[in-house]
Amino acid sequence: MYRTLEVCSNRGGFETVPEPPRPIDLAQARHRLEAAGIAVVDARVMLIAALEAEVTISRTGRILLKTPDRAVADRTFAELQRLLDLPVAAKASQGGPRTRRKIEGLRA
Amino acid sequence: MARGVMLMSGGIDSPVALNFMLRQGHEMVAVHMDNRPFTDDTPLEKVVDHLAILRERYAQPIPLYVVPHGSTQVTLMRNTDRHVGCILCRRFMWRSAERIAERENATFLTTGEALGQVASQTLSNMRSATASVRLPIVRPLIGLDKQEIEREAKELGTYGISTRPGVCCQAVPDKPATRSNLIQILREEERVDVEAILDDAVRKAVLR
Repeated sequence: MYRTLEVCSNRGGFETVPEPPRPIDLAQARHRLEAAGIAVVDARVMLIAALEAEVTISRTGRILLKTPDRAVADRTFAELQRLLDLPVAAKASQGGPRTRRKIEGLRA
Repeated sequence: MARGVMLMSGGIDSPVALNFMLRQGHEMVAVHMDNRPFTDDTPLEKVVDHLAILRERYAQPIPLYVVPHGSTQVTLMRNTDRHVGCILCRRFMWRSAERIAERENATFLTTGEALGQVASQTLSNMRSATASVRLPIVRPLIGLDKQEIEREAKELGTYGISTRPGVCCQAVPDKPATRSNLIQILREEERVDVEAILDDAVRKAVLR
């Protein structure tokens, strides 16, 4: 269950981990994201998806939202939660805008 | 004085190392390995700002090559043992820098590495990483500790830039190897087409 979004160690984004641990099936996640028209880079042990903020999804369940903007992180996580059926929401706690990444060139 | 290539990360150490080389009168070319989407835009922004300070200080153009490295990371992550991912990544960084050095008629490579600052910065890992290139490597900070480097960075005016918020490299494995075996590294590397990866990355490098 994802409870909170916390500022990552270098303060450039927000991250959240499921408690208790809950791995994510990356193949299925990629399929769902791409079906929704979202560009995804599949690096085998993680996916990088271009939602409103760029998101790294690890197979361990850890999710990193690459934006320092609290509102963007909240919206992006809510969207990801909807797309992947992730359990329960989160609240973030910091602000500032960030450009969305273009990752089409790295798509599998 | 000689012409060299400096690997710039956006961190605290590399502008200090570059400053040492410029202070000695060497002519330097900067290379930044662009790790997006495994990082955000901030490392490149920091390198650009570091170079602005050093260009002004030494009244030198200091060319900057931005070499795309994200697709290399994807290939490595899909095909090789994650445990040695940082070493393989660095081998490609060194090779890219060496290719740029050939293009720029530079005769040596430089980094801001210092021993033992991070888990992966060990002698055996440095050896495994740098065995991929032939040019001599200069490490001006190798014997300095973190406090000394930070003091230099503050005096230079680059510390505040380096410590801006940013996203850490997401390609770093949970448990990076600290004592690597070159034979194992070479075996892992055989799983990918080294020359094709390098050709593609260096061809796409952008000069700024």
